[in-house]
Amino acid sequence: MIQALVSGILLGGVYGLFSVGFSLAFGVMRIVNFAHGEMVMLGMYTGFLVFTYLGLDPLLTVFVAPFLVGGIGVLAYLFIYRRYVGRTTLQQLLAAIALALILQSTAQLVFGPETQAVRSVFASQYLLLGPVFVSYAQVVAFAIAAVCVLAVEGVLRLTRWGQVVRAVADDAEAAEIVGQNAQWVNVTAFGLATGLAGLAGAVLVTYYPVNPHVGFVLMPIALIATVLGGLGSVGGAFIGGLICGVVEQLTSAYWTPALQDIPLYALLLLFLAFRPFGLFGRASAH
Amino acid sequence: MTATVPVSAPRAAPVFARSTLLLCAVLAAVAASVPFWANSYVTSIVVRALIFIMLGQAWNVIAGIGGQLSLGHGVFFGIGAYGTALLFNEAGITPWIGLWIAAAAAGLCAMLIGLATMRSRGVYFALGTVVISLGFEKIARYVVDLTGGDAGLAVNYRGTAPALMQFREPSAFLWIDLAVVVAYFLFTRWLLHSRFGLRLQAVRDDEHAAAASGVNVLGVKLSGLVVSAVMTAVAGALHVQFYLSIDPGTAFGLFQAIQIQLPALIGGLGTAGGPVIGGLVATLLTEGTNYGATLLGVRGGDVLVYGVVLLGVVLYAPRGILGLFRRRAGSGA
Repeated sequence: MIQALVSGILLGGVYGLFSVGFSLAFGVMRIVNFAHGEMVMLGMYTGFLVFTYLGLDPLLTVFVAPFLVGGIGVLAYLFIYRRYVGRTTLQQLLAAIALALILQSTAQLVFGPETQAVRSVFASQYLLLGPVFVSYAQVVAFAIAAVCVLAVEGVLRLTRWGQVVRAVADDAEAAEIVGQNAQWVNVTAFGLATGLAGLAGAVLVTYYPVNPHVGFVLMPIALIATVLGGLGSVGGAFIGGLICGVVEQLTSAYWTPALQDIPLYALLLLFLAFRPFGLFGRASAH
Repeated sequence: MTATVPVSAPRAAPVFARSTLLLCAVLAAVAASVPFWANSYVTSIVVRALIFIMLGQAWNVIAGIGGQLSLGHGVFFGIGAYGTALLFNEAGITPWIGLWIAAAAAGLCAMLIGLATMRSRGVYFALGTVVISLGFEKIARYVVDLTGGDAGLAVNYRGTAPALMQFREPSAFLWIDLAVVVAYFLFTRWLLHSRFGLRLQAVRDDEHAAAASGVNVLGVKLSGLVVSAVMTAVAGALHVQFYLSIDPGTAFGLFQAIQIQLPALIGGLGTAGGPVIGGLVATLLTEGTNYGATLLGVRGGDVLVYGVVLLGVVLYAPRGILGLFRRRAGSGA
């Protein structure tokens, strides 16, 4: 029980990290990025490449992956998402699905369809805390995730840029009227949102095997975590990620790993039906 | 519910609608004659195209006319396919009847999904249907005793048995499926101008305005989803009778749900002719890329082509092939 809880929280921290990005893109631009899982996948492959071809520890890519994937995110924003900002439309959702398919199949052509694993220096080191057995890789990943989410929350609350982002999220039109250039804010916010996905991928790959279709496994988790926390809420998405990790691990330990996501799906449907604004969202919003 | 409904979508020029109708009639006649002049390989491809078109027509009702993006149509397709096959294998019920039971089950399921996800913002419906698809796929893989798990389920084959909707030759399936496609086409044409269809379009164009004009938004969306789900389940039943097998990925997979969208998107969302034209183009595209992929020995190339076509259509031709012609016809007039 405690074992499942602890590993759930550790995994959930990383889920929370990429869910924060998903939530940010929705909160600021009303963009539902169905290709968010693919952004995580790209971060994971960055770690894989660095490990396989340079022989370095995959964890080192935490300094590269966010910028690389964030850059791809900015391109995706400029060429695809820009025209859909402010209103989630059928066309936007379809464009995101198309982007997901393109990234997935490109990854499959480049890296092959196999599931591949890398080994971080921490992978084989375990920590025994009383009855609980945890791997260093998971602890390090969780620590990085938690620090980064705190940093993002801090930047959003304390910096001028963060205030503008929050102002745009609240009301893009009003922010524009008082002289904030929403377009510039959107580009940077989308870069941050996808960069967080890349970062999550880089830490996740140290203990979670990667394949071209991993995005379709992770995207639903981002989606569920985001709805649980309240669409658009940064802190809420992180907590939502933790809940996802814990529910997954508990189901897997006490029921069967094959159905580890089923209670999560049920949870999402319950929230959609009875509390669509999530745990921390405002009922009045939209 | 007698209030008038604002319709902001301009109707197609009647001249053009007539030419689409003519084109579709010619296509239907050509399709019906295929078994007389082509071999069974070509006939099978036409059957595949017809099922693809049928799925597109069904999805088009809720997504194209109603504006609600469903990523869960794999669920209704799977219920139709698994339901019909299981009713026959386990209880000996002929697919001619089993099809209707499965379709009713899909309709009921659609009602429940709609009630859970359609009450709030539109985007929640799309999000909800994603996880419902994934959930069904995982459960179908898990309950091996019932569904055969990953390996799938095979329909007990009795050779040519018209009473059991089993035929050795694909031509019989071609005529059955063609009849359904024609029926769906006529239904969509009727729907576009019916009271119910106008309400659906009003909800698609502006939910708030529709509600303000006295449209029962939730009711209209739910009914649209149920109709679309029943149509999809019928396509699933015809699919399983033709292929004689079904597996969780083909039935409930997210990729299947995405594929269902191609005919309507390529041809023209929210039109009667769109899914027909788009389904033909999409079939040629799939057959072509599969052939090319086998030739080159690459895996995953077909998905790349899908993604690029989907993105291209969404970004540059959001009204599909018919939309391209209509714009040109409009500017010329």
